[in-house]
Amino acid sequence: MSPISVSIVKKKGVILCLVLFVLFFFSKSLISDELAIRANLDDLALKRTKKSHLGLPKVPFPDDNLPSVAKIQLGRKLFSDRRLSHNNTMSCAMCHVPEQGFTVNEIATAVGREGKSLRRNAPTLLNVAFMAPLFHDGRETSLETQVIGPLLAVDEMGNPSAGYLIEKIKQLDDYDDLFERAFGRGVSIETIGQALATYQRTLISTHSPFDRFYYGKEPDALTSKEKKGFHLFIGKAKCVSCHLITEEYALFTDNNFHDTGLGWYNSMVKPTADQFIRVQLAPGVFTSISREVVKSVGHPRPNDLGRYEVTLDLSDRWRYKTPTLRNIALTAPYMHDGSLSTLHEVVMFYNQGGHPHDNLDPLITPLRLSKEEIEALVDFLNILTGDNIQELVLDNRSEKIGNPGAIFHPKVTCPPIIGP
Amino acid sequence: MKQLLSKISVGSLVVVMLVAASIGIFSVTSLQADETCMSPYMAKITGQEDFVYVLTLGVEGLGDGSDKLVTIDVRPGSKTYGKVIHTLSVGGRNEMHHAGLTDDRRYLWAGGLDTSMTFIFDIHSDPAKPRLHKTIKDFVAKSGGAVGPHTFYALPGRMMISALSNDKDHGGRTALVEYTNEGEYITTHWIPTEENKLGAKIEKIADGYGYDVRVLPRKNVMLTSSFTGWSNYMMDFGQMLGDEEAMKRFGQTVTVWDLHARKAKKVLHVPGAPLEIRFAWGPTHNYAFTTTALTSKLWLIYEDDKGEWQAKEVADIGDPSTIPLPVDISIGTDDKTLWVDSFMDGKVRLFDISDPFHPKPIYEKTIGSQLNMVSQSWDGKRLYFTSSLLANWDKKGQDDQQFLKAYEWDGHELTHKFTVDFYKEKLGRSHIMRFGAYSLYGKVPPSAVSN
Repeated sequence: MSPISVSIVKKKGVILCLVLFVLFFFSKSLISDELAIRANLDDLALKRTKKSHLGLPKVPFPDDNLPSVAKIQLGRKLFSDRRLSHNNTMSCAMCHVPEQGFTVNEIATAVGREGKSLRRNAPTLLNVAFMAPLFHDGRETSLETQVIGPLLAVDEMGNPSAGYLIEKIKQLDDYDDLFERAFGRGVSIETIGQALATYQRTLISTHSPFDRFYYGKEPDALTSKEKKGFHLFIGKAKCVSCHLITEEYALFTDNNFHDTGLGWYNSMVKPTADQFIRVQLAPGVFTSISREVVKSVGHPRPNDLGRYEVTLDLSDRWRYKTPTLRNIALTAPYMHDGSLSTLHEVVMFYNQGGHPHDNLDPLITPLRLSKEEIEALVDFLNILTGDNIQELVLDNRSEKIGNPGAIFHPKVTCPPIIGP
Repeated sequence: MKQLLSKISVGSLVVVMLVAASIGIFSVTSLQADETCMSPYMAKITGQEDFVYVLTLGVEGLGDGSDKLVTIDVRPGSKTYGKVIHTLSVGGRNEMHHAGLTDDRRYLWAGGLDTSMTFIFDIHSDPAKPRLHKTIKDFVAKSGGAVGPHTFYALPGRMMISALSNDKDHGGRTALVEYTNEGEYITTHWIPTEENKLGAKIEKIADGYGYDVRVLPRKNVMLTSSFTGWSNYMMDFGQMLGDEEAMKRFGQTVTVWDLHARKAKKVLHVPGAPLEIRFAWGPTHNYAFTTTALTSKLWLIYEDDKGEWQAKEVADIGDPSTIPLPVDISIGTDDKTLWVDSFMDGKVRLFDISDPFHPKPIYEKTIGSQLNMVSQSWDGKRLYFTSSLLANWDKKGQDDQQFLKAYEWDGHELTHKFTVDFYKEKLGRSHIMRFGAYSLYGKVPPSAVSN
């Protein structure tokens, strides 16, 4: 080899070393930046469970499941992991999409495993820490046990058994010792539930314009029309009867069950009332098609009896849990079956006095609101959105979505926790 | 000549055919058979097809309940003509949908819209008995979140896959995903959205949705169409028609791409869920057809006299107010006719497209209670139809017929040749068809060998 060739090779070698050197530090810097961001998000998430929030009570958690960063990380990871379903398609986040108010805006009622039709609208998980009982029919009492139903339901995530799922998680390399670090013990249905519950309790969102006005004593936080809407909310429109506001905090729900007539109407009357349904084919293009045609390509929707399905008490037929109104602007479509598309439609529904029938809750009566009053009330409902939604979305998306063969972020180290 | 041909390796043949196809040596008339609507980069059958491969969705409680590849013998005179001669279950119900052949035509790729599992079948080792060569289980992870691999379209040495959804929200925003013929992931091309236009000119809206992908190499153009996301295509069709929110989430766009740069250039406004795209074959015919499923319209995507690609609605398909729901389409090799299947009325309609701006319906026939795919031979004489659209969109009860029906076309009338009842055979829901032939691989049928 000539001296010139040797020189070229040496130069090439030097350049290559330099490139590798820069790449190494660049990638290392990127990874450390990423880790720093995630650590900060973890820290913020833990703080959300501990600090006081304007307009909300202290975040409750059970004595045997105190929050920690390790539990939050694990819960967040489980929440977005599609491998938690039998055929690797559904995660919690597929029906509680962070960018869609932790519900789904794009369909009225949820779709489960292999496209199975579910009967109800996915409720938002924002501020779910304060909700009990859980589900539209209140069948579950605690966030720790809530996940068992969806994980095992044939028409939701469809796992054949709890044991099957536990073994599956054990075999996923990227879970490694995350359960041990978070709980001091391994994967079980209990630790899966506790991790998910801990993460969900971090989804606190408040400090809305309403909170600043009412609890923060900022008179200019609301416009005059929004203030009018608020007075209607607590006055003529009687919304506050079920969507509670107290002097200390506002959950905007009584966590109780009511029959507004909607469940009864949609189960008992609607299926046979209209022979034709209006269908949008493209924006601004509609057609009417007969129920016979719909029937030819659709299975009939199973009846939904609401709270009765839990208590078997006839007086509970078509009663559903009052949803929170916090962040309601983000969580369309509305009602237990997603049958109302806009807040205006919801207010119009209550203005007409729901759907009167024998079991109708006596609190539901015609409101006789004027057009301007309806608008003001809708304006008020639109200012109940918390100021940290982006933070919660970022927090969730800091974890890669779990898919078969997924490559995951490097693990963030944190001290192991001994005991519960 | 036969001896000479047999000495030439299959690989050499493929290379020659690819080069020939790419520079246009083969005129349309030199090919007598094969299916129309295939990638121009693909090796072609130059005689009678021997087999029709049918991707079939498993039905819970029927047979083994699994998705499968079904092989049907279509050799005239064969003892098993019109019969199922082979089935290959892949395990599970993946919402098996479309499938496409590699450019060398040795492998058939098929995708599950639900699980995103992608199955690569070897159809060349024994064309009568395909076998599962490879399963891609990490399509979603590798692609960075694309869900529902749909069209598998042959590019030289590569497979371009259009997906339908994503793993963030199961909505319609999605991507094109590129793999090597060996099944190795290469890259992902996301479809332009309002928030990320990717440098494309937006005619009205950029929804980011996907469905079909087709190319016109001599104009360096690639087109993609737009359907809907997982939440809708997996949902019960009847439920969806009654779900106002769901009905708002259908594609409204056809995207024009720079084929070689893989760069989106223009997003055309084509409302109503444009599905299959078919380019014309003629050397000066710079246009493609698509149909919108919900609005039941035939659209022309064409290059205008200024070199700009445009979209124009050119005909109704049946009575759009009754939602005939046009699905698969098949263009004649002379660019004069277009077959259009519609799902709801189970009809196939033939349009005269000699004047692409003014297509005229000239023939129609009811094939079954529901109808989805159509594949025609290159000479236009043989047509095959199947029935399933999507597992949860297919008709319910007695109208849920699942079949493959073969017809002959004499220019005036479709004459029925045979039917395979996929329910009676305990196979499932019959979906896309692809043609197979011994001649592609320098092989001769076993019976011919014994002769």
